[in-house]
Amino acid sequence: MENILSLESISYRHQEEIVALDNVSVKVKEGEMFAVIGANGSGKSTLLQIMNGLLHPMSGNVTFRGAQITEETLKDRGFLKYFRTRVGFVFQDSDVQLFCPTVLDELLYGPLQLEIAEEEAMERASEVMKMLNIDGLKDRPSYMLSGGEKKRVAIGSVLTMNPEVLLLDEPTNGLDPRTECFLVELMLDLSEAGKTLVIATHDLSIVDELNARTALLSEEHTIEKIGPSDEILRDEELLLRANLIHEHVHYHGKTQHKHRHSHYFSHDH
Amino acid sequence: MKNNIPSFLMDKRASEVVYENKRIRANFIEKGIGSMASFMRSGHIQWRSFLKKGFFQKLDARVKLFFLLLFVIIVSIKKEFMPEVLIGGIVFLLVVLSRLDIVRFYRKVLLFGLIFGFIVALPAALNIITKGEIILPLIHLPRDYDIWIYYIPADIGITREGSRAVMMLTSRVINSVSISFLVLYTTPFPQIIKALKMLRVPDAFLLIITLSYKYIFLFIKTIEDMYLAKKSRMVCKVHNPDARGWITGRMALLYRKSQGRFEEVYRAMNSRGFSDDIKVYKHPGFENRDRVAGAVLLVVGMLLVVM
Repeated sequence: MENILSLESISYRHQEEIVALDNVSVKVKEGEMFAVIGANGSGKSTLLQIMNGLLHPMSGNVTFRGAQITEETLKDRGFLKYFRTRVGFVFQDSDVQLFCPTVLDELLYGPLQLEIAEEEAMERASEVMKMLNIDGLKDRPSYMLSGGEKKRVAIGSVLTMNPEVLLLDEPTNGLDPRTECFLVELMLDLSEAGKTLVIATHDLSIVDELNARTALLSEEHTIEKIGPSDEILRDEELLLRANLIHEHVHYHGKTQHKHRHSHYFSHDH
Repeated sequence: MKNNIPSFLMDKRASEVVYENKRIRANFIEKGIGSMASFMRSGHIQWRSFLKKGFFQKLDARVKLFFLLLFVIIVSIKKEFMPEVLIGGIVFLLVVLSRLDIVRFYRKVLLFGLIFGFIVALPAALNIITKGEIILPLIHLPRDYDIWIYYIPADIGITREGSRAVMMLTSRVINSVSISFLVLYTTPFPQIIKALKMLRVPDAFLLIITLSYKYIFLFIKTIEDMYLAKKSRMVCKVHNPDARGWITGRMALLYRKSQGRFEEVYRAMNSRGFSDDIKVYKHPGFENRDRVAGAVLLVVGMLLVVM
């Protein structure tokens, strides 16, 4: 499979001061499910924003289908349209992403910008609403939605543009188990439909469920390892080093018991 | 769910890269957000300057606040140009001793001096406002005019007295701003608040400025995120009316968010025993260095007053 997104030796500092990424190289293949895991503050969101050309690295190269993604290339009208319609981003905080008066407007925003005929745009919006079970919300403003509904609308607003690559930043963060389950199934279906998915998360259980190729970011903001999810998730030493699991002491009756703990692993007694 | 995937999502797109060779210029939102980001950066630069081991950074915040008050008063009461130049020289020396970035520091000071001193005071240089000897004639009218409360003479120009007033006001603004920046750049914000508390500034006022200072950074981050979210879905140039619409919507969201946030913060403060009174832990006592520096600054200030 061809590399669709490629990042080579990327370094980025927030406010030119705080290191967010240090010499990170990642290649995402077309149609694959790719997860970026790491502790809080390891640089997952920054990495995704760089993939979407929202932030530009201080050093290193970013390419989409071999074309450079830089501040300069994104100033070209044709290339901007080409890139933005092909790479969609779902933000962690849905509130920042929803800016149209109603849910329907939100879903139509992308297609209408692409100058797709209104009839076809409406059709896309209605199909996406049906898929995401939000057809009953189409006339509601975003501030009258629950967290889970907002997340569905945010995903829908990107899907109506039919992107090839979907970048999802902490997609299941703060959602109830049912919505989380719905999103995992949706991601699997989109992957099966041929979409490339890049997910940034510290929720190890969804990485396992998605069976994604996984990049582990260390707390030093470098890539610790890239490999199949089961290989990475089985390596407790690696996860402990990356601060994704911790040593945990508790009691069974009167017996003190110490083991490594995460919300992904179960442990044997 | 498989069957629910809409057919348009299965459509393959042409993969050839498209360029139009037509450039999109940054609109006013992008420039505005850029300025906000640079404001955030300046907060970090300020934090870096606290960490430098310069003369002013080592002093107690109360000494620095005392210096600020004393020298701003002296700057305001002096009527001659020479003492203002002297004060400017003293502040420059302190900036050098405090190892601040001189170019960055004076670029900001001069910008404020230009806007709030020179440009604001410039009309006062004309004989329409300040009577006196014209040293630079500008316009000659056929006759004098009386418009409402204004008298407009036939010869309009810059007077000696007017230009002196403009120079005085500009130098006062530059000196006051540079003294304030010197203190702000060398004192962490929490220390300023503690020192103000020691100087018996009302708690309500301190609470408002503490929370406002914190929220400025929080909301700039939120605005930046909102802009990035819009940028990620922008496929063409945004027209100004659309941009204005977006800004209005975002302002409403920000207002709602800030309202929710301040209520939550107030409840959190109450739950931790807040009783309308800011408690600060004991401020460390003055060291000899603070006493000597305070005394020297006081003597210099007194000398400037009697000059």
